[in-house]
Amino acid sequence: MAMAMNPIQVLQNGAEEEKAETARLSSFVGAIAIGDLVKSTLGPRGMDKILYSPTGQYGNGEPSVQVTNDGATILRSCGVDNPAAKILCELSKVQDDEVGDGTTSVTVFASELLREAERLVELKIHPHTIIRGWKKAVAVAREALNESAVDNQADPEQFKEDLFNIARTTLSSKLLTQHKDFFAKICVDAILKIRDDPKSTLESIQIIKKLGASLESSFLDEGFLLDKTPGQNQPRRVENARVLLANTAMDTDKIKVFGSRVRTNDIKSLAEIEAAEKEKMKEKVEKICKYDMNVFINRQLIYNYPEQLFADNKVMAIEHADFEGIERLALVLGGEIVSTFDNAENVKIGKCDLIEEVMIGEDKLLRFSGVSQGQACSLVLRGATEQILDEAERAIHDVLCVLYSTIKETRTVYGGGCSEALMAQAVQVLVEESEGKEQHAIQSFANALRQLPTIMADNAGLDSADLIAKLRAEHAKGNKHAGLDLYNGCVASMDDLKVTESFKVKRQVLLSGHEGAEMIMRVDDILKSAPRQRAPDRCM
Amino acid sequence: MTAGNAAAPAKAPVGKLGEGAFKDKEKPTHIRMSNIEAAKAVADAVRTSLGPKGMDKMIKDDKGNVTITNDGATILQRMKVLHPAARMLVELSKAQDIEAGDGTTTVVVVCGALLEAAKKLLSHGIHPTKISDAFQRAASEAFNVIETMKIEFDLSNKEAMMKACATSLSSKVINTHSLHMSELCSNAVLKVADPEKNSLDLKDIKIVAKVGGTLDDTELVDGLCLDSNAMGTTRRMEKAKVALIQFQLSPPKTDMENQVVINDYSQMDRVLKEERQYTLNLVKAIKKSGANVLLVQKSILRDAISDLAIHYLNKLKIMVIKDIERTDVPFICKTLGCHPVASADHFTPEALANVDLVEEISIGGESNCTKFTGIQNAGKTVSLLIRASNENLLAEADRSIHDALCVLRCLVKKRALVAGGGAVESELALKLGQRAKEIGGVDGYCLQRYAEAMEVVPYTLAENAALNPIEVVTELRKRHNAGENSAGINVRKAGVSDMQREDVLQPMLVSTSMITLATETVRSILKIDDIVNVVGRG
Repeated sequence: MAMAMNPIQVLQNGAEEEKAETARLSSFVGAIAIGDLVKSTLGPRGMDKILYSPTGQYGNGEPSVQVTNDGATILRSCGVDNPAAKILCELSKVQDDEVGDGTTSVTVFASELLREAERLVELKIHPHTIIRGWKKAVAVAREALNESAVDNQADPEQFKEDLFNIARTTLSSKLLTQHKDFFAKICVDAILKIRDDPKSTLESIQIIKKLGASLESSFLDEGFLLDKTPGQNQPRRVENARVLLANTAMDTDKIKVFGSRVRTNDIKSLAEIEAAEKEKMKEKVEKICKYDMNVFINRQLIYNYPEQLFADNKVMAIEHADFEGIERLALVLGGEIVSTFDNAENVKIGKCDLIEEVMIGEDKLLRFSGVSQGQACSLVLRGATEQILDEAERAIHDVLCVLYSTIKETRTVYGGGCSEALMAQAVQVLVEESEGKEQHAIQSFANALRQLPTIMADNAGLDSADLIAKLRAEHAKGNKHAGLDLYNGCVASMDDLKVTESFKVKRQVLLSGHEGAEMIMRVDDILKSAPRQRAPDRCM
Repeated sequence: MTAGNAAAPAKAPVGKLGEGAFKDKEKPTHIRMSNIEAAKAVADAVRTSLGPKGMDKMIKDDKGNVTITNDGATILQRMKVLHPAARMLVELSKAQDIEAGDGTTTVVVVCGALLEAAKKLLSHGIHPTKISDAFQRAASEAFNVIETMKIEFDLSNKEAMMKACATSLSSKVINTHSLHMSELCSNAVLKVADPEKNSLDLKDIKIVAKVGGTLDDTELVDGLCLDSNAMGTTRRMEKAKVALIQFQLSPPKTDMENQVVINDYSQMDRVLKEERQYTLNLVKAIKKSGANVLLVQKSILRDAISDLAIHYLNKLKIMVIKDIERTDVPFICKTLGCHPVASADHFTPEALANVDLVEEISIGGESNCTKFTGIQNAGKTVSLLIRASNENLLAEADRSIHDALCVLRCLVKKRALVAGGGAVESELALKLGQRAKEIGGVDGYCLQRYAEAMEVVPYTLAENAALNPIEVVTELRKRHNAGENSAGINVRKAGVSDMQREDVLQPMLVSTSMITLATETVRSILKIDDIVNVVGRG
C-alpha cells in the first residue's frame, strides 16, 4: 500500500528537471546575464575586463591577471553553468573560429533578442509565433544587408583601401586603437603577401612577441623568424641554404625497452660499449651530413658531441626547435620532417636563399629569407608588458582573421551602427506590412538590432536615446550611410569616415545571433542528468 | 560607499555561473574605485623609498629570509600583492625595470598620483574614456616638453656617463661608494658597447658577487672571473692553455643502464685497475694536447670528474675547474676565444685559449673564485667582481649595479640626458599647466590635473629628505617659471639648485618611459569596469 502512495519516480536520483515557465525563465535570465556581462566591451569606447585567476592561467599557482575586451576570451574564461548561457558562449566561440571578429556583437545581439522575447512571452504570445516572426524579419534584414554591400574586388587600389579601412575599424575597439593606422597597414601588408598564393594560409603569418620597446616599434619582417641560435662555432650565416628538418634524438640513441640494460664483467668492455655508442652517434651524424644540405634543424636536443661534429662539417645545427616552429618551417620551406636517415634520395629538402642572425630588442633571432614555398612573413610585436603583448596579439589575430575572410568574400558593409540601423529600418517596414501577432515579434527584432548602436553609444558616455533617434530618422529619410561617430558624439556619414566592416562578419553576427536565440526560445524543458557517482575515497 | 554608487545593485544572478565564479561582480563605478584604491595603496607603500634620502624596506619571506632594499621593482615583486589592479602596478614597475632599468619606484609613485587625479575627475562626473583620452594627449605633450630639456650626449663622454651612474646610485645603500662604482660601470660598458649600433647586451657583462671584503674591493676584471675554485693542488698557472671540455672524466657509463657483474675477487681487482687505466688514458690525451688548465662542464648524467681523475691531473700539473654550467659555455667561449671540446679525440690546437695568468684568488670563506687575466685574442666581454661584507649588502649592491648598468644601457640606446632631482617633473607640471589653459574644455581640465600630479615627485623627494615639501615645491615652481628649467632639489645642500651644474643627470629614456608606462597603466585601469574570476582549470 505504502508503495502505491509514493510519487512515481521517473528520473534517476539526483537528476533534475525544470519545466515550461521555470525552464524558460532560467534560460532568459542566463542568456541576458551573459549579454550584460560582455556588452560594456562593445564598440570603440568599450571597457575592458580583468580576468583574475587565483590559481594562475598555467596552473603554476601564481595568481595571474589578464586585461582584455575580447568577447570570446572573456566568455571562454568564466565558468558557466546555465545551459542557455552556455549556448551563447558557444556562439561567440564559433564566431571566433568562423570569422574571428564580432564575438561580442553576436552574443549581445542574441541576448537582446531574448530580452525582447521575454517581454513578448509575458504578453502571452506563443514562442512559436515569435520564432515565425523572427524568421521573416531575419530574411528581410539579410536582404537589406546584401543590398547595401559593396564589392570592390575589380579595382585593386580601392580593394586595398577597403582592407585598410576594415582593419582600422576592427582595431578601433581594441587596445591598439591609438596606433590603428600603423597596425592596419602592417596587417594589410601581411595579408596581401599571402593572398595570391593558394598554399598559404593564416599559418604562414607568424606572430612573434618580444618584450620591450613600445607598440610602435612593431614591424613586419619578410621571411620567417625562429627564436633560436645555432650551436657553438657553427656558421652564423648561410646563403642558399638547404635545410633538413628532423625530429630525432641527438643526445642519446638508446633502445626504449623497459628494463633493458648492459651487463658486463669489467670496465674495459663497458668502455668499449660507451665508445660504440659514441661511434653510433658519429655514424648518424655522418649519415645526416651525406644529405644534400647545410642546415640541420632538430626538434629535440642536440647534445655537445653531435653539435661539435656538425660544427666540424660546417653545418648549422639548431636544436630544440619547438613543435609549432618546426611544423611552420616545414610548411614555408617546403621540406619534410624526417626521423630516419637511410634513404637520402627520397627526402624533400627545404630551401631558402639566406639564413642569418638578426637582433630584435635584446635578443638574437634567426631569419630565413627568400623561402621557396608561399609567401611567409613574420609580424614582430613589441610592447611594454606581458599583458599588453597578449592583448595586442589577440587584436592582431582578430584583424588578420577578418582580413583573410574578406579576401575570400570581398564584399564590405558600413560599420558604426550603420548596417544595424539599415537592417532595423528594413524590418520596420515589414512591421507595418505584416498582420497578426507576428507583428510584435518582427518589431522586437528591429528593436534588438537597434540595441547594438545604443549600447555602443552608452559605452562611449553619450546620450544614446537622442543619438539613436537621430540615426533612425536619417535612415528613414533614406540616408543609407548614416552611422554613429562615437568620437565626436554625433550622427555622420560612415562613407566619409571610412568605417567599413567585412560583410561576412556582419552576416554571421545576424544569422548566428538569430539562430542562437531561436534555439533557446524553443526550449521548454531543462533536464539535468544525475551527477556521476564517484567511488568513495578509501584513503580517509 | 559614496553617493555615486547609489545606483541599483546588479540583478542577483540565479544559479547562472559555476561555483566560485562571479562572487564579486559589482557595479562598474565601485569596481573602478576599488581598483584605484588598491593601486594607490601599492604606490603609497613604496613612496618613502623614493630619492637619495629614501628609506629602505625590510622584506621577510615565508621561509624567513630577509631582503633589505629600496629598489621599487624588487619591493613590489616580493610583496605578493593579491588585488588584480594592484598587480598591474607590480607589472608596471617590472616593465620599467626591463625598459629602462631605473626609475622603478618613480614610475609607481607617479602612477599613484595620476590615479588620484583620475579619481577626482571621476567624482566630477567625467566619463572614464574622456579622462583616458585626455591623459593620452597629456603624455604626448609631456614628450615635447622633455624633448626641449634634453642634453645631447655621445659615447666618448665618459664623464657624463659617470654622472648618470652616480645619480642612479645616489639613492642606494652603496651611495658612499658611488664614485668608485660609477667608474667601474662606465668602464665596463665602454668595453663591451658597440658604438656603431645603438645596442648593448648586458649579457656581455658577467657579475660575480662574493661575500667578504668591503665594497671598496669591488673590481673590474679585465678578462674572465669564474665563481668556482680550482680542485686539487694546482692553484695558479702562468702562460696557461685553457681547454673547455664537455665530456666527463669519470668511469665509463653507457646511455643504456649498465651493470658490471663481478664473480670473484680477482675480477674486482681487475675492474679497479681498468678504471684507473681508463681514466689515465683520458688524462693522457688531455696532457698530450698541451692544455694545462681544464674547465669541465657540469653533467646531469654522471659525475663530471672523479676524484681519481683530479688526482692524476694534479700530478700532471693541470689545473682543474669543474661545474661550468652549459648556459655559461657561450660566454666563456666568447671571452677566451676557445672552442668547447666534446670528446677526448677532438682536441685540436685551435680549441685551446692562451691566457697569461690563471689564478685562484682566495677571498676568505670556503668558496674562492678564479681569475683569467691577459687573455690573447679576447672577446668583447668583461667581468665584474662585487664584494661586500654581508649577504644583504651584497645582494643590494648587485641590484644597484644592475640599475646603474641599465642606466648606461639607456644612454647607449638613446643618447640624451636630462636633469634629475625632480627637475623634469617640475618642468612638466609648469608647462603642461600652461598648455591646459590654452586648450580649455574637458581636455584642458584633465590636463591641469595631470600636470598637478607630476609634482608628486619633487614633493616626495623633499619629504623624504626631511625638507619642508611646500616650501621646496613652491620654490621650484618659482624658479621654473623664471625659466630655469633644470632647477631641482639638491638633497645634499638641502635646497633648490641647478641640477645641471650639480651634475645630477639621468638618461632621457628613463623619464620618457616613465611617462609612457605610467599613463598607459592608468588608462588601462580606467578602462576596466569589471573583474571576472576565472574558474581554475583542472
